[in-house]
Amino acid sequence: MKNGPLFILGLFAALAISFGGIVLGSHHQLGTLAPYFDDNEAQSYPLRPAGVAARGQLVYADLGCASCHTQQVRRPDAGSDKARGWGDRQSVARDYIHQARPQLGVARFGPDLTNYGKRAGKSADEATAALDAFLYNGSANHPSYKFLYETGKVSGERAARALKAGTGGTKPDEQIVPTERAQTLVAYLLGLGTSYDYPESLPFIAPVAKNATGEPKK
Amino acid sequence: MTNAPTQAASAEVTAIDSQARGPLLLLVGSGLVWLVISGILALISSIQLHSPAFFADCSWLTAGRASALRETAFIYGWAANAGLATALWILGRLGGSPLRGLNWTVVGTLFWNTGIALGLVGIATGDMTSFSLLQLPRYVQPLLAFAYATVAISGVLAWSGRRTDGAFASQWYAVAALFIFPWLLVAGQAVLLWMPVRGALQAVAAGWYGQGVWSLWLAPLALAGAYYVTPKITSRALAAYESAPLGFWTLIFVGSWTGGRHLVGGPVPVWISTVAVVAYGLLIFHYLVVAINLRGVFGASGDSAGFLRWGLLSYVLVGVLEFITTFRAVAVGTQFTFLNTALEQLGLYGGVTMLLFASLYYMVPRIAGREWAVPALTTGHRFLVVLGVVVLVASLAFAGWTQAADLANASVAYSDIVAHLRPALLVAAAAQLVLLAANLLLLVNFLTTAGASCCAAWCSQSSQSSKLEAHAS
Repeated sequence: MKNGPLFILGLFAALAISFGGIVLGSHHQLGTLAPYFDDNEAQSYPLRPAGVAARGQLVYADLGCASCHTQQVRRPDAGSDKARGWGDRQSVARDYIHQARPQLGVARFGPDLTNYGKRAGKSADEATAALDAFLYNGSANHPSYKFLYETGKVSGERAARALKAGTGGTKPDEQIVPTERAQTLVAYLLGLGTSYDYPESLPFIAPVAKNATGEPKK
Repeated sequence: MTNAPTQAASAEVTAIDSQARGPLLLLVGSGLVWLVISGILALISSIQLHSPAFFADCSWLTAGRASALRETAFIYGWAANAGLATALWILGRLGGSPLRGLNWTVVGTLFWNTGIALGLVGIATGDMTSFSLLQLPRYVQPLLAFAYATVAISGVLAWSGRRTDGAFASQWYAVAALFIFPWLLVAGQAVLLWMPVRGALQAVAAGWYGQGVWSLWLAPLALAGAYYVTPKITSRALAAYESAPLGFWTLIFVGSWTGGRHLVGGPVPVWISTVAVVAYGLLIFHYLVVAINLRGVFGASGDSAGFLRWGLLSYVLVGVLEFITTFRAVAVGTQFTFLNTALEQLGLYGGVTMLLFASLYYMVPRIAGREWAVPALTTGHRFLVVLGVVVLVASLAFAGWTQAADLANASVAYSDIVAHLRPALLVAAAAQLVLLAANLLLLVNFLTTAGASCCAAWCSQSSQSSKLEAHAS
């Protein structure tokens, strides 16, 4: 390696080729992926997240939730993703096209949250109250996020979103209410869920081999 | 473990070393301070894994933020500063003339470390990017790219003005790390933060960047030192040196193609992870060549040799194990578990950090112009680091193994999985405490050595000037 400029050129080429291959290559393939329009429903999918949920994703990202939770379901035959109720189909690139910064995550110290909203609770109010209480109190396995909630005196009526009286040792004239950050985070989490099965996301079912008479082989 | 202190015979300390003393000691010192800070954060973060209530009410240190802070302080604080010091020193020595542009190095170091400090405050207050290995907030990233390039100037000058025809393996690795990283950082932040690619493609780009950090930056920085120190302490030429170019170019050309291995089964094109399998297969040649080239360290003695042995062992081991976990059938089980964390720690702590320690133990006495101040601290550091890394990696691997088995079995409830992990995570936290203690020893030893060296330089300077003044009057 006597030729200095050629050496530097080689280094540059190595970086440029892998950038071109991996980043630009995949961008070329999927960068213009469009929403899927369903003729029967006259609606295109994925649905855009509500504004409040999009803001909640920023809270999710800045608290670093992705360090323990993934948001990607693998194929039904890979691992126990389906058996654990995380999702019936694999996540596909189209699921994320409306997300400013998808939180795919790298570790599953906690459960996958791709379809958290779908499995959260019966009614929206119940689910919200349950999630508020969980985020405030935490559990043996999950930290509490008390700083997302404010404790204050009740003036007149209790706030609609106030946590159950007595939570966290509050007096009868005190209440704990979610801050705006908590509200957007809860809205985001309860909105999580893949809403539509695209053609590319349907589980692959191997064709059954048939014998000469057209009966499935035993 | 015997302790034969590194002998920096005075004849071997040249003008190249003493002239670069201040700037290089500044780099090493900042690296060590970040190492201790990252150790504190690692301790907090690992305690949080088994008792989530720890620091939960402090919004600056949520579990997610603490782990991002630890990672950032470790890579951009410790490994970057220490690696830069090694690379510059090697390029100066092998270039054959004193380093030029050292004022730029000092300015760059100050800006780099200011940037890291601002970035850590940014992460703690909620500006983390949530990309693994690129957690620093967007607003400090341009500053970091400029600061790094500024530090690197004197290395590049030493390379282009070298007096020898041709170059050595340690120079290739050092120049590669100095030259490629600014490009990598700029390209990475462009496609992730300034003009982000769409949706799930961000995971692909982040994987490319993260792998680049490992194989185009940290590994070359560590190997530059290893390739330089090994022949020095064994007093013989590297084995099979003619194959070193193959090892180098394999790493540089193929390494960053392996980033897709974390995306097996993810919502990205399948070829991304297939390419990663193929590329990792080729990359095995690199690990093989490095192992053959540096195998001489197993017969050497001394502080540097001790760290080199562990570093080389971990470095090659992590290559082989990561190759195995790249295959789909294995990845389905190991993905998202602590096995990945264990491999990451084996690579970053066992591999890169041990190799950097080896370089530091060889380099610091030479640039400071005196032996390590307290030999007992050197021995203590080595013992504790080896103990800490072995226990940390083993406990995380055990946790990962349990977790992988439990995750695959859907009848095990999630709360049970976490409960099964807790004992191993407790051991991992203890290992972090040992590592923190070890690195504190190193910091104290370094500060004493560097302080004495700077004192001596200042005293001789002032006595000279007072003599001159007396003479003049």
